[in-house]
Amino acid sequence: MEEDRVREIQRLKEELEKKRGEVEDIRVLVNQQIDRPFLAEVKEYSEKELETYIREQISTVENCVDPRPDKQSVASHRKIIGRPIVFFKRLLLKMTGFHVHLLLDKQTQFNRESAALNQALVIRLGQIKERMRQIQVKISTCEEGLVVLEKKLEELSSSQERDKGDIADRKPPAQD
Amino acid sequence: MPPMSKENGSKKDLAGEISAISAQLGLQAAYNRLLRAEVAFKLRKPSLAIYDHAFHFIGGAQKYGLTLIAALRDRFDITILANKEVSHQDFLSWYNLDLAGCRVKVIKLPYFEERRAFHLDPALIPGEAENPFHIISKESGRYDIFVNNSMNEMVYPLSNISVLICHFPERRPRSYFYADRYSYLIYNSRYTALWVEKKWKILPHQHIYPPVDMEAADGGVPKRKAILSVARFEPEGTKRQLEMIEVFLRLNQKWPGLVKGWSFILAGGSGPDNPYLAKLEKIIRGHPGQNIELKVNLPVEELKLLYQQSTLFWHLCGLDHEDPSETEHFGMTTVEAMQNRLVPLVYDGGGLPEIVDHGMNGFRVSSKAELLKYTMTLLGDQALIERLGASAQKKAQIYTRAKFEARVRDFFDDVLKTYVSGRETRPFE
Repeated sequence: MEEDRVREIQRLKEELEKKRGEVEDIRVLVNQQIDRPFLAEVKEYSEKELETYIREQISTVENCVDPRPDKQSVASHRKIIGRPIVFFKRLLLKMTGFHVHLLLDKQTQFNRESAALNQALVIRLGQIKERMRQIQVKISTCEEGLVVLEKKLEELSSSQERDKGDIADRKPPAQD
Repeated sequence: MPPMSKENGSKKDLAGEISAISAQLGLQAAYNRLLRAEVAFKLRKPSLAIYDHAFHFIGGAQKYGLTLIAALRDRFDITILANKEVSHQDFLSWYNLDLAGCRVKVIKLPYFEERRAFHLDPALIPGEAENPFHIISKESGRYDIFVNNSMNEMVYPLSNISVLICHFPERRPRSYFYADRYSYLIYNSRYTALWVEKKWKILPHQHIYPPVDMEAADGGVPKRKAILSVARFEPEGTKRQLEMIEVFLRLNQKWPGLVKGWSFILAGGSGPDNPYLAKLEKIIRGHPGQNIELKVNLPVEELKLLYQQSTLFWHLCGLDHEDPSETEHFGMTTVEAMQNRLVPLVYDGGGLPEIVDHGMNGFRVSSKAELLKYTMTLLGDQALIERLGASAQKKAQIYTRAKFEARVRDFFDDVLKTYVSGRETRPFE
């Protein structure tokens, strides 16, 4: 009975091993979704993380400054009926193009100005940061100077104390 | 879900049970069930695989993982999973670890192979790209226990028991984030734990300090007037060697009498063509006769001797850095110094406050001025050096390899007990 069970475990294992080898997708193996969306919690970011984030976001914004549709934006992946669909869509685009552009031109201009403003603010931030760094260096040098002065003062006071002691020791004995 | 008991059920029941699990929870859960049954019935030794995408080069985190399996060799059938060629001989020469009996399995990742990358950096994988670590995820499902030692939370664990060793949470949760899918999360310092909670919003389970074994075999080497710094020469300068040189130069300039006879030695590893190292060399050349020495890529024996001979230890990694990833997450070299009775003067941030108790076994500083101040205090007080050095050596006993191995065995013994008993070990089993 025991041996049967052991053999059965091994048989089932081999069977599953084979099936497992054929599956590439992890989701299929665990029978569930494994990925989830995560929101960027920018307020918790460190300075370095924020820098990377800002760089990425600016690049994303710059890539979608112009929302106006062009001919290339209409395409289809369908092999047979794709061509007529594309034809009609492009026709519609041509017919409504004037009005669409009228609305979106202003939006494009706004996007462009916003992207430029963002860029300028980032540059300004960099300048402020550099100025802060220079001030930090100056403060640091002053602090070090203070430490040295403090130590010198300590030594001076202790040598003064020593001198006082020496003078007291050298006092002539009181006259009778 | 309890494991299949010896008593209940027939062959038919077993096949039915496995088939039901497979339909409900997936093929992997069914397979895991059989793996668990094999161990519960003592048909074989439990298997454990440890993975690190950086096993092919020398590093502190890798030493942690490999020392961990060295402690578990007699309990598990162990496989070391690497992404590039590496051998037992490498582990022996890099970490003095004899891992004979542990299998080394190299699984190359096509994504990085195509790019001929030596450093497999998960942070460089764009969100829209397919996860190149899924090959490792799949492999993880072949073992009872899978240990991910690589700070790489992009590996989805499929084993019955999975352990993520976090040396520091580098990335924030984004695409392919699976750190919370592991059964256990081990962390190397309280500082790391704090950031795991902050960045990943999960509570880590087990604190195991890294193993540090730099203790001198005998205490016969006399100390000399030397301040030592041991840190990699990072091209970005995050270890702050430049700032320490500036402090030593200032000491020489303002207090020559006090520093007379003292030298400052900067030891550490570096890759070729390191602009930061070149900058330091230039500064030192520009200040001849100031007793500053650079010791790059020293063999371990020479480094040990340096530790034994030196008196004070400086470490400013983290100074003026706001980003937590640029501070010391633990501080192995500080502990190494303390084991050799050096008095540590370290930056008051990252994992270092856990190691150095201010005024008791060293000093913690938050600026160059403070480093200057406490160094001057020590240079003028030999008795204080002796007292703090002895106290530092005592504190460093917490981090020995023997203590590390004992903690590791305790933890994995408990894990194994849970596994065999049939209690819940991971979410989808």
